Amino acid sequence: MFLFILQGLIWTVVITVGGFAFGAVVGVAVAGARTSKSVLVRIVGRVWVDVIRSVPPLVWLFVVFFGLAELGFRMTAFQAALVTFSLIASAYLGEIYRGGLASLGRGQIEAAQSLGLSGADVLTRIISPQVLRTVSPSMVTYGIGLMKDSALASTIGVVEMTFRANQVTQSTGQGLTAFAIVGAIYLGLSIPLGLWARHVDQRIREKYVVA
Amino acid sequence: MKTELEPYLTAQKITKEFGSVRVLDEVSMDINSGDVVSIIGPSGAGKSTFLRCINLLETPTSGVLRVGDYEISIGPGHKHATKKELSTLRRNVGMVFQSFNLFPHLTVAENICLAQRRVLGRGKDEARVRAEELLERVGLKDKADAYPGRCSGGQQQRVAIARSLALDPNVMLFDEPTSALDPEVGAEILAVMRELADDGMTMMIVTHEMAFAREVGDRVYVMVEGRIVESGEPQQVMSKPNHPRTQQFLSAVMGR
Repeated sequence: MFLFILQGLIWTVVITVGGFAFGAVVGVAVAGARTSKSVLVRIVGRVWVDVIRSVPPLVWLFVVFFGLAELGFRMTAFQAALVTFSLIASAYLGEIYRGGLASLGRGQIEAAQSLGLSGADVLTRIISPQVLRTVSPSMVTYGIGLMKDSALASTIGVVEMTFRANQVTQSTGQGLTAFAIVGAIYLGLSIPLGLWARHVDQRIREKYVVA
Repeated sequence: MKTELEPYLTAQKITKEFGSVRVLDEVSMDINSGDVVSIIGPSGAGKSTFLRCINLLETPTSGVLRVGDYEISIGPGHKHATKKELSTLRRNVGMVFQSFNLFPHLTVAENICLAQRRVLGRGKDEARVRAEELLERVGLKDKADAYPGRCSGGQQQRVAIARSLALDPNVMLFDEPTSALDPEVGAEILAVMRELADDGMTMMIVTHEMAFAREVGDRVYVMVEGRIVESGEPQQVMSKPNHPRTQQFLSAVMGR
């Protein structure tokens, strides 16, 4: 039973990692839009973030899977889950980036400009490394949340861990064991990630901040 | 005919408006190579804004700026500086800020090497050698591999000066470089600046250090409400100011 459920881990991981990766990339654009000089672009960014975050993930999942199908965009359950979690992650990660950007002093960017560094160099060598370091603990925390949310994909038929546990329960009636196994696997993934995030955070504080 | 006395840096009628507020009102200044110029005046007079217009960190609303061979007219009907022009201007004009603005994720040496490598295209070893040279000059050789967070304010400001000097600029702009420091620590920074001046660096300094402006400066400009109200040799301006606003300002700062 354990192995049967564990086979679903691959889809849990693919949806989580895939959604996180797409979200991490699109999130850069979201953070950029939220801090843009143009009012219009800022509004677009704001609406994106607010609309996505105000609706439960399960509802988004149904909107993408059933709603878009009605409009003619047919996707497999897996594709729909990936798209949904990518969109959701882009809003949350975008906001995390924006928080990191705000903690970065404007003065440093001016100093970099006054040295003649190009915009691309300022972004890749001054802004990104610092923002990534300050936000990496929040990103990991969000990643853990995303992994747990990915269980929702079982509702549209993605054969990930929770779906398989449900199958076991239907056929054998051993719901307690099945879901205890699923819970234990989630726990086994979340705790190391959380510890790692804390460790990274600690190291950054020791290295760059005056005691 | 061009004479050898042509100023190295010329600012003509630099005007800056933020919305409807005119922060700089046709400020003009000529600076010869090797000159040390102090800009003094009450807070909010536009001194820092003017300095930031010189390396186009702030884009003036209108005016003409010339640094060495590079000249740009700014205002309606004129095109913006290209990225390449900006980069050339900026590596030629170093700037030191009130709040140091070091990059906290890079070591002291990396702070000094980054622009040397990315802007001047120097090799890794060449940049490192130059960084160590400059650190020795500002008395911080042992801090090369420390992170800025482990340096005191005075040390950070000396690193910031070294970081600017590493690009071999022709002009150095100092925007209240000692204002964030204790007087004793500020004196260290002033000593480094005095040495630079003695070596013939062209410098523009926005400062509240009247004694420094008097002793080291070749010229003093007094700025009030976005205009230069008075300028001249430091001795003359500071002991016998003509403009009533200068008199008022000086008696306020000297009377403390």
